[in-house]
Amino acid sequence: MRKENTPDEEKDEAHLARRKFLKQSTALTAIAFATPALVSAANNNLDEKAAGYFEKVALKLEVNGKPYNLSVEPRVTLLDLLREQLHLTGSKKGCDYGQCGACTVHVDGKRVLSCMSLAVMQDGKKVTTIEGLSTGDELHPMQEAFIKHDGFQCGYCTPGQIMSGIACIREGHASTEDDIRQNMSGNICRCGAYPNIVAAIKEVKEKGATI
Amino acid sequence: MINFDYVRPSTQKAAIDALNKDATSQFIAGGTNLVDLMKRGVTSPQKLIDINRLPLKGIQKRDNVIRIGALALNSEVAEDELIKARLPLLSQALNAGASPQLRNMATVGGNMMQRTRCPYFYDTSMPCNKRQPGTGCSALKGYNRMHAVLGASDQCIAVHPSDMCVALAALDATVIVSGNKGERKIPFLDFHRLPGSTPQKDNNLQRGELITAVEVKDSDASGRGAYYLKVRDRASYAFALVSVAALVEMKGSLISNVRLAMGGVAHKPWRLTAAENFLKGKAATVTNFQLAAVEAMKGARGYGHNNFKLKLAPNSIIESLKTASGLS
Amino acid sequence: MGNFFFDEAFIDGPDRVDGKAKVTGAAKYAAEYELSGLTYGVLIHSTIARGSIKAIDSKSAEKAPGVLGVISHLNSIKVPGYDMSVNPGQGPAGGKGLQVFNDAFVRFYGQPIALVIADTFERAVFGASLVKFQYSREQHLTDFEEAKKTVAPVAGARYNDFVKGEKDAYKTAAVKIEAEYIMPNEVHNPMELHSIIAQWKGDDKVMVYDKTQGVKSSQRSIMQAFKLPEENVQVISKFVGGGFGSALRTWPHVIAALIGAKLIGKPVKLVLDRQQMFTMVGYRPFTVQRIGIGATADGKLTGITHEADSITSSYEEFTERTVNVSRGLYACPNVTTRYKVYPLNLSTPTWMRGPGEATGAFAVESAIDELSYALKIDPIELRLINYAETDQDANRPFSSKFLKEAYQLGAERIGWKNRNPVVGSMKEGDWMVGYGIGSGMFNASRGTAKALARIYADGSLLVQSAVSDSGPGTATAMTQIASAVMGVPFKKTTFELGDSSLPPGPTQGGSTTTSTLGSAVNDVCLSLKKKLFELAKDNPVFHTATIHNVALNDLLFENGSIFLKADRSKKVTYSDILNKAGLSQLEITEESKGGEDARKYSSYSYSVHFVKVLVHPATGVVKLDRIVTVVDAGKIISHKTAESQMFGGAVAGIGMALMEEGVIDHRYGKWVNNNLADYHVPVHADVPAIECILVDKPDPIINPIGAKGMGEVSIVGFAAAVANAVYHATGKRVRDLPITPDKLI
Repeated sequence: MRKENTPDEEKDEAHLARRKFLKQSTALTAIAFATPALVSAANNNLDEKAAGYFEKVALKLEVNGKPYNLSVEPRVTLLDLLREQLHLTGSKKGCDYGQCGACTVHVDGKRVLSCMSLAVMQDGKKVTTIEGLSTGDELHPMQEAFIKHDGFQCGYCTPGQIMSGIACIREGHASTEDDIRQNMSGNICRCGAYPNIVAAIKEVKEKGATI
Repeated sequence: MINFDYVRPSTQKAAIDALNKDATSQFIAGGTNLVDLMKRGVTSPQKLIDINRLPLKGIQKRDNVIRIGALALNSEVAEDELIKARLPLLSQALNAGASPQLRNMATVGGNMMQRTRCPYFYDTSMPCNKRQPGTGCSALKGYNRMHAVLGASDQCIAVHPSDMCVALAALDATVIVSGNKGERKIPFLDFHRLPGSTPQKDNNLQRGELITAVEVKDSDASGRGAYYLKVRDRASYAFALVSVAALVEMKGSLISNVRLAMGGVAHKPWRLTAAENFLKGKAATVTNFQLAAVEAMKGARGYGHNNFKLKLAPNSIIESLKTASGLS
Repeated sequence: MGNFFFDEAFIDGPDRVDGKAKVTGAAKYAAEYELSGLTYGVLIHSTIARGSIKAIDSKSAEKAPGVLGVISHLNSIKVPGYDMSVNPGQGPAGGKGLQVFNDAFVRFYGQPIALVIADTFERAVFGASLVKFQYSREQHLTDFEEAKKTVAPVAGARYNDFVKGEKDAYKTAAVKIEAEYIMPNEVHNPMELHSIIAQWKGDDKVMVYDKTQGVKSSQRSIMQAFKLPEENVQVISKFVGGGFGSALRTWPHVIAALIGAKLIGKPVKLVLDRQQMFTMVGYRPFTVQRIGIGATADGKLTGITHEADSITSSYEEFTERTVNVSRGLYACPNVTTRYKVYPLNLSTPTWMRGPGEATGAFAVESAIDELSYALKIDPIELRLINYAETDQDANRPFSSKFLKEAYQLGAERIGWKNRNPVVGSMKEGDWMVGYGIGSGMFNASRGTAKALARIYADGSLLVQSAVSDSGPGTATAMTQIASAVMGVPFKKTTFELGDSSLPPGPTQGGSTTTSTLGSAVNDVCLSLKKKLFELAKDNPVFHTATIHNVALNDLLFENGSIFLKADRSKKVTYSDILNKAGLSQLEITEESKGGEDARKYSSYSYSVHFVKVLVHPATGVVKLDRIVTVVDAGKIISHKTAESQMFGGAVAGIGMALMEEGVIDHRYGKWVNNNLADYHVPVHADVPAIECILVDKPDPIINPIGAKGMGEVSIVGFAAAVANAVYHATGKRVRDLPITPDKLI
């Protein structure tokens, strides 16, 4: 079974000792018993199939205009790829189950939930995150509108709201305030900045710039 | 999640072969339900077969039939000019579901295949006959606010959460599937199942089959009132307490044609055939709508926390008929 | 005490100073720091509500690729600050938070019982799924009704009945209302999942990136747990993704991460998942309230009785000031309050926006509305008849109270007089229309805080304090105050926060930050001004033939320069002053606290919420059509952020009124709707345009800036306004929240 020991672990005796300690104490008290079926057959097949399980798959994608050639485990979500591997922490994890919209990014121009997207399935696609909106000091009109209208408080849902707001206008779903509200309902804001978010989107729509 | 294998075939044959080769494999299209279920440990396929490369997109009309590819996105279908013009009920129902982001990811086929959102089904530490046959139904005596009032059994009272499917049920759609034995057509109303004593089976798709398209007979939508009413606990981004898809065609002052289906009440989208039969040829009045609603609710029963649906459902039927018939 | 806020102009409503960071994704929240050697920790929670862990099988988990360790009570370290005498046999006691991995006992479903650490997030999650537990299950109790019948409430002096005047006097009133109101469990659910990155530097020094509403209190908790000196614990919390009370105390996952990091010898990042946000960081507790309220036929209150039964965990005592609203909101000669708390096998509740008051106000403000109908007196009129001009509870004057103004401004704005007061009389199309009012109060106070102010030779100003900002806009408000007091342009002023090594600031909670920290910033800037004055007073530019001694009062500090009031052409820049003195910077650190004067007064912020609702008679759907929310929070520092705070309270109020409810399946003692799809918080479509009126009259006593605080009062009374409006629309009085469609059909 392929085990991922880091070089540090090999060298660090104290660390090895700790690991032995951890394993030993659980071995003393562990009891093998039939479990309610919590985990799949993967558990039973672990030793034999393990080699197959931890393979990575090649992934080519563009993020904010920059091409990446990566190798990722299929189970990695686009959100975790962005945040943990590419260190683009602008896209946020609010729930990880597709229930809050904080992770909204654009994939090939469409707004989607990155926490529900497997990274490997984005092969060949163009991803835009909040970090990709502004160039240097120049902010995107939606970002400026959010600042002007105070469209945020804690700021955590903000990147998702902005990405969603831009898409909402592009989709043609920002003709009225009610339209905006209905079509932004996939982005939850617990701080309650909704009225200001709507005002910001409305202003950007009315200014008519191509966004 | 386990780190599953991942393949991306470009032909239907390759996709079905891959599925057949590995009993623990599953198709993935939009993934909006499957990835969720995998994260929660409800399902743990050891291989995912990404079918997004298959040529199953597109919305066309040929002869008198509108054909929607199984990989067409929910948002694509909802915003399609042909659909908006000829099948407005479908467009309305799609837009009532989920959120714009999810609609941009979810496919027509996936929408049909989505599992119930019963919290006990989702929680692998809870007994659930759908997830593990024989362990019991935790919702029966549990928190069943969102659960079925029609067609359920004491083995499972889950509801099918889709809005799109309610409209397709009302529209008498046909599901086109492809499998080992070639292509077959399944009437939409026969696609999803009742729980009965086999709640682990949501639908009548056989193993090795792939949904390729949904077809709806076109007809002149003008002169027809279409209305999808969804009642929920908040204004958006929530599943239905009860929903109604209503299509009403008038000839003079009488109802010449009517289609009705309900969501949020059963293991499958619930076609209200008895109510339709009652209404045909009758005047579009509130009294008749009330009587039709009584027909529709025959056999309905609550399970405690969802008893209110016994009132909300008929009320919703009446309201949607009022709107679809132009009465309000 | 400076009066400048009453007199001088300053930049009002500037864009938030942290706005750019937030809209570009540059703002870093707790889980977003890159550290070399970072590992990922995932907590496993119990799946029984009471009992103990008999065995743990972690063999598969430990063998799984990338897993560095599985930690539980079996192999955890001895946490020096743990109270080893704690055991489940004792009743709940104050301050006895859950001691993670300390023993085998399971006290609630969802209790953290193990930590899996791996080199990637996915491997940690997978590893966690492989750990098996064998429990010894005991009968649990999570049902309040059951508890009321079978167990004794928590004992203690704080549960003694309070009686002012005659006990239960309402019973003999000419007109009276007796009703029971229910507040369900509510869960904070801020958008940011609680997270921590814990890193040990050696055996006794630690650095954490935490999600906290108080870097100093977080620091203290860690110091206490691991018996470390202050200089050895650093807590960083620069951006906080919402707290609403859930980040006011240090929760078990923080200690778990520190334990993990110590055992593994690497930094550990631990992020709770959304389900764990229901059982590991507190919640607003379920409360049943009984109100008896009585008045004379012409509306003068003769008695209020307010009883509240709530819940706490089996191991820790949690209480709220639920019934205190009845003691202060209205003038009433006879007030009786009773408060009890029952222990259940759940995690400990905690403060949630407007803790106590929000729950109590729902009951009182609904009851007074019911009384107004019984009396046939307008609800606002009834409140005015019983207006408390002084604090009748503490027998003190108020430092300020502009509640009358708030009633008037709000009523005018929403057109209260234009409504038809007859119940069920208004319609718009198919929808029934109703108007409602609800009022709130929340304690305003000023605590102690330290701030540092430093002026640089380039004329820029830096102010620091160890406070964190979870959204209200503290950094912006403090920048405004500092800029105004110091006379430095806003754009050249910076306020730094979120680091425990900065001068100790207050915890951001209880609506005290602006009052406390604002005063500290005010005071330290005044002192810095004096110091600058000392350097500048001998400057010949201020001397004339006759005057050689210039006094502080002769000078103006504006826009980075000191001017002679009598002759503005006589000036010198701060920059020049420092350069002349050969200094690159000038600084001062000062502690600021409330004076004796303030203690002679009672200080409260007040809110009044007016709503117009539409209710569909067939489906029971309730829509908020108009909201006018008014607040007396003393002097408003920034209109922009203040309005946003009021919006926030209103939106949270919509949630409380119409949809929020944490549901527990008592067969298992577990939360059933523990996710954001099933626990409903308001979305965009639930919220209309909100009109906010800020009374904006300074409080002359509470602190030098005249500000009272509004984060919590913004929600207090809102749910009652909605319930009252629904009654006005339909004739249906809903007393158990939330008001969902099934309750109206």
